[in-house]
Amino acid sequence: MKMIKTLLAAGMVAGAVANSATAQEETTSSTLYGDMQYVTQDMLTRADGDGNNFLHTNHNYAQTRYYPASQINTSNVGKLRPAWIFQTEVVDTMETSPIVVNGVMYVTTAFNHVYALNARTGEQIWHHKHSMGPVTTYCCGPNNRGVAVAGGKVFMGTLDAKLVALDAKTGKQLWETQIAEPELGYSETMAPSVVEDMVLIGTNGGEYGIRGFVKAFDTETGELKWTFHTTPENSVGVWETHDATGRDMLRDIEAEKAALAELGDPYETLGGGVWQNPAVDLETRRVYFVVGNPSPDLDGSLRPGDNLYTDSLVAVDLDTGEYVCHFQYIAHDVWDLDAVSPPIITMVKDENGNDVKGILHGGKTGHVYVHDADDCSLIRFSEAMVPQENMWVLPTADGARMLPGANGGVEWSPMAIDPNLRLSYVINLHQPMTYHVESTPYPEGKLWLGGAFKVIPEEEQWGNVSAVDYDTGQIRWKVRTEQPMIGGILATAGGLVFTGEGNGLFKAYNSENGSELWRFQAGAGVNAPPSSYTVEGTQYIVVAAGGNAQLNYKRGNNIIAFTLSD
Amino acid sequence: MRLPLAALALILAALPAAAQEEFDLEGTVAMCVSCHGEDGVPVAPEFPVISGQQYFYIYTQLRDFGAGRRDNDIMTPISADLSRDQAKLVAQAIAEMPWPEIAAEAEEGDRAAAESAFTAGQCSACHGKWQGDSRIPRLAGQQSDYLIQTMLDLKHKTRANAPDMSNIMADMDEDQIGAMGRYLATLTVQ
Ligand code: HEC
Ligand code: HEC
Repeated sequence: MKMIKTLLAAGMVAGAVANSATAQEETTSSTLYGDMQYVTQDMLTRADGDGNNFLHTNHNYAQTRYYPASQINTSNVGKLRPAWIFQTEVVDTMETSPIVVNGVMYVTTAFNHVYALNARTGEQIWHHKHSMGPVTTYCCGPNNRGVAVAGGKVFMGTLDAKLVALDAKTGKQLWETQIAEPELGYSETMAPSVVEDMVLIGTNGGEYGIRGFVKAFDTETGELKWTFHTTPENSVGVWETHDATGRDMLRDIEAEKAALAELGDPYETLGGGVWQNPAVDLETRRVYFVVGNPSPDLDGSLRPGDNLYTDSLVAVDLDTGEYVCHFQYIAHDVWDLDAVSPPIITMVKDENGNDVKGILHGGKTGHVYVHDADDCSLIRFSEAMVPQENMWVLPTADGARMLPGANGGVEWSPMAIDPNLRLSYVINLHQPMTYHVESTPYPEGKLWLGGAFKVIPEEEQWGNVSAVDYDTGQIRWKVRTEQPMIGGILATAGGLVFTGEGNGLFKAYNSENGSELWRFQAGAGVNAPPSSYTVEGTQYIVVAAGGNAQLNYKRGNNIIAFTLSD
Repeated sequence: MRLPLAALALILAALPAAAQEEFDLEGTVAMCVSCHGEDGVPVAPEFPVISGQQYFYIYTQLRDFGAGRRDNDIMTPISADLSRDQAKLVAQAIAEMPWPEIAAEAEEGDRAAAESAFTAGQCSACHGKWQGDSRIPRLAGQQSDYLIQTMLDLKHKTRANAPDMSNIMADMDEDQIGAMGRYLATLTVQ
């Protein structure tokens, strides 16, 4: 393992201080909490009200991405300027959610580098480069979405399917554990989640014929505590012929039943990755997550049945990993229009107008789904945020056109909500594609799509930012963007939402009506979820600008923190 | 990414004793390099460079040849004789050897034609700067005759172990494939 502990490698930090007020404060270096870096369970549990730190990938266990500070707000956001820019060593796709603990920021890059930075100045505190094994897997770029913090530790999942724990003070590795066999296509890009003495993590590999899971590991030792397999030994289900919105999926149930008799249950290579953070409900001690596509993506002939619990919202018991409830959006998916964007827990109105605890999920189909947290059942789905055409035409050898394309709708990008406005903020893609099927047998852990999705080059692509009223399912406002959107969004108590684009623009919108209030050109694609934090009374917004491998947006290596200028 | 030598010892130690005793690693590698080149330069222009290629890629090819997913008169029988563990040892040893420098020249217009085909096929999304990584083979500095042949095999699905690559090559014509093969051979190995 190689470690770089230099404090300030020359040239690596561009301390671009854009305003003199910040420069004058240079003399004091302590944070609100002195140099305390220990993260208690109480801090993690109460993170939703914490306007100083950013402790979870999606800010809090409910994953609302609603930041409670309002120093930066609709009246002054026009004065937002970069406070500092940190340049990482790796110029490649960035999807990291910056985590901030008492003035110390943790960010990751492609190929599993981790940096600890002074959140006020952007100075490097330490840099850890994971010593990568010989077998790595990534379908869509060598991504990493960030770390989890708890106690005095920082946790990260790696492309060679390991979970590592680092010392938060030094970046020194404390332990590592092999999560699954990388040769078979298992790998990690998601940030882990920590609850009490457990680190929760899922897996990538839905394009490689894995058997998906969520696992819990001991924070002290890395020992496995429980495993929930996302594809149960009986994955057949109820032979559902319609999707969650009531559209016929044109399944040939007789042919599937015949295949089942011949091939048996396909659960062992059925995919079902979980590669975004779960929402955690400490009241009911449940964990809610969404499960990705079945393998092979486009070829259903080898996997008869509903393919439970792929393309589903699933709840399990936090302490044991035992199944609680599920809701499947698309049974026997052959379009890769799966469930990826992390679920959010919040109070919603049910059919009768009563307030119930709900779960929100933004689908690749282009709908926001609203569930009853109690039994996972669907309360409503929103209007479509992107065009839908030809749903559900089956993939053919020559390719069948259907909208949305296989990236969505909503990709992995986390949503945010404003619980006062009862709105969820969602970023979308519009990318017309044709769906092709070509059956090939399980290739022992190599890429296994069972066909291809092809972008139609003549057709226009674009994206949008949508605000959806989750109590009614109606779209309140929608702003079109030049390119398909991927990365994530942040809402704040200042009446703002922040999100970035592939063309390098990072924008702030009025969360009530969608009017654009501020923009900044970052020089590389801003395709990562923004965070916010406060140090010494100054609120910052921070985001990574590293572009995106999957959509081929211009790569970079910048972490940019913004504050108000006078 | 290369495995350190210590890792090879680890793999060896993990093998059942019988497999270690009976398997003549040195002799097997000597047989391989009789075609693929003792100094890494293959004895024929249509033979691929394997010396210094990615460990996991070499291993998966041996596995795929052996299982018939990639069919070749020479390589299929050779690979079928290797157990999975033996194939890993061979792949490991060959990956540790240096990649050779082979002089190559592209024709006029190749570069422009190749670059535009790379854009159309979105090659960089997986191949990056062509240096290889784990499952992805190094193509920079590979033999042009081999590259062209294998791209045609992928296109015509006579090489059937990478359906996604076949899909991409289905949209390329022979001129584009020729230009890409010749141009890739001239790229510097980093
Ligand atoms: C008699 C000559 C010969 C011998 C001996 C030989 N090879 Fe090959 N090898 C070839 C040829 C020719 C090809 C190209 C086959 C094709 O295009 O399908 C090839 C292809 C390969 C490939 C695929 C390379 C790529 O880039 O996809 C690998 C890996 C390989 N050989 C490894 C080995 C190993 C390991 C051995 C020894 C156990 C070996 N070869 C012995 C001739 C040989
Ligand atoms: C979706 C990812 C992806 C894309 C896009 C892609 N490749 Fe590949 N390519 C691979 C993988 C993975 C392999 C290894 C296949 C295997 O294991 O047999 C490969 C293998 C190859 C090989 C065979 C090398 C050898 O040593 O035999 C060539 C040549 C190649 N690619 C060229 C290209 C070119 C040129 C493009 C763009 C026009 C391209 N690839 C686009 C993933 C990709």
